Amino acid sequence: MRIESDVPYRFQNMLLECDTPTGGWSFYPQDTQAHLEPTCLSLLALHSRAEPRVVRGLEFLLHTQNPNGSWPAFAGDDQEGCWVTALAVLTLNQLHADSNAIDRGIGWLLDSRGKESHWLWKWKFRTSDTHVRFDPDKFGWPWMPETNSWVVPTSFAVLALSQRFPLERPSRVQFRIARGVEMLLDRVCPDSGWNAGNGVAYGVPLAPHLDATAIALLALRGQAQNSTVTKSLTWLAGRSLSCSAASSLAWSILALHSHQQTMTCQIQRLADLVKTAQICDHATMATIAMALECAVGKNPFEVQS
Amino acid sequence: MTRRTVLAGSAGLAAGGIASLPFLLPKYDKVRRPGRSRVAILPANSYSQNLEKLLMEGLRPFNLDVRGKRVLLKPNLVDYIPGAEINTHPSLVVAAAECFRRLGALEVLVGEGPGHQRDTELVLMESGFADQLREHRIPFVDLNRHELIKTKLRATYTGLDHLWLPRAVIEADFVVSMPKVKTHHWAGVTLSMKNMFGVVPGSRYGWPKNILHWRGIQQSIVDICATAPIHFVIADAIVAMEGNGPLAGTPRPLNRIILADDPVAADATCARLMGFIPERIPHIAETAKFLGNASLRLIDQLAQPVTVADPPFRVVPEFQYLSAR
Repeated sequence: MRIESDVPYRFQNMLLECDTPTGGWSFYPQDTQAHLEPTCLSLLALHSRAEPRVVRGLEFLLHTQNPNGSWPAFAGDDQEGCWVTALAVLTLNQLHADSNAIDRGIGWLLDSRGKESHWLWKWKFRTSDTHVRFDPDKFGWPWMPETNSWVVPTSFAVLALSQRFPLERPSRVQFRIARGVEMLLDRVCPDSGWNAGNGVAYGVPLAPHLDATAIALLALRGQAQNSTVTKSLTWLAGRSLSCSAASSLAWSILALHSHQQTMTCQIQRLADLVKTAQICDHATMATIAMALECAVGKNPFEVQS
Repeated sequence: MTRRTVLAGSAGLAAGGIASLPFLLPKYDKVRRPGRSRVAILPANSYSQNLEKLLMEGLRPFNLDVRGKRVLLKPNLVDYIPGAEINTHPSLVVAAAECFRRLGALEVLVGEGPGHQRDTELVLMESGFADQLREHRIPFVDLNRHELIKTKLRATYTGLDHLWLPRAVIEADFVVSMPKVKTHHWAGVTLSMKNMFGVVPGSRYGWPKNILHWRGIQQSIVDICATAPIHFVIADAIVAMEGNGPLAGTPRPLNRIILADDPVAADATCARLMGFIPERIPHIAETAKFLGNASLRLIDQLAQPVTVADPPFRVVPEFQYLSAR
């Protein structure tokens, strides 16, 4: 592979240079408000670097945990918690951080579920509200409380629980992972791949999105033989070859690597792309750094199958 | 009638009054409806014509003073589906940006927070926006990932107390909603007010912003528009959409651009052009009580007159009642 060996480090160094008053990462360099998504992704991208900036970021992550065990979307947010809790748990687990914080985060995740799982809404979605095709018995995680399950938050929650409990899984964890996997397989687009939530709305098939498909496939590492997964991997591998957006391409590489698929062309494409593209979103920078490190076998989203 | 009966009856009436008070009180902070509103319907047959010249002439009667102001253009940039006319056309957005620059704006930004697609850069690239914005040096703000400000809602239709909204929206001096005129299978229509769903940040509320669906799409539209003011509307109805919008409908050329200094008047006019009765669209009817004018009597029509689409725009069965027929 012809990528210059310093490219992942270039992005890691850019992340190390970014700072906010609270210690987390903002989405953009000019912003001072630290958000949890770029913070978690930056910490995952930097976790092999023993740098004071990483320690500061980790402290921020631990300090922003809500009293109920969840994490907010950003520093100063309301304290009800949201989808980034899964990403925070996954990050702390990768960084071998405070297990009490992880356990509290997992407790919140296990209590959090898509609103369609409630018997009343199940009944509604089965009887009167049938325009969107899905099975409400198969539920996952919402973006925020009191809403439906969606593909990306469910995938991150399945990943977080699977990584934390690689072998011995308490029955509740096993139940939620199984339901989450079922939900993802239920919501797949008719041809393959995943959109934000459902595959069909008002009788019309929705087109898959690269990043949602890639993140769902990361969560479905344990289902490698499933035909939905293999078809979606084929779609992702093909579609990502023409992708010029760094974030989607980087997520695609992480998913292909996790499923031990060939991704040489995608990595080369990403390495070429970042030479000229102006990338200033820290979440994207971190995802690029992680994707390029797949070339040397590192992938923080890997799950034992 | 005994004294006791009168007292019991009075107590009952008082209790009933108190119980029904929340339903009788207005759900908005105050009436901000202008005395009259202005709407201009401009003929435009294609996106390749000189839209900047057309817009500049169309804007003149409005006497907009944007000198020294930060202008935020909010197009409808939902996703990219090859061959589908689902987004506000980038040529129209660029033309609008150039017009506001010529009118003396300090800064013109384009901002959007796509509702389903997390990779905003991908949508920008594939929809043709990225090239056009770069060529014309127009900055873009991803409203899904911007700094957020806690903003108390100025209406309470959803029951939410506040939303976290992007600094770029809250601090803009002049917000221009630039919708693509489309039917919508959940909301009936998506026009300048529904377009403001895009200012609600995905990083906080998700992709899509599902809390707004659970709280009621019509109610959410009213609360957002009561809180994040739209100062002007430039609606893309050159090629509109009918049927199963906002993504899977069919293109329907209307060959028009609609300009308005009032989003309620703009949406009411667009609804009429689509062959709908605006008062039957809940968020237009509700905002007409306090935010703007939907009544033809209160709208000064500039340029072309309103002509009702014949046949009316096709809609999903749930919204057949919108049609004037």
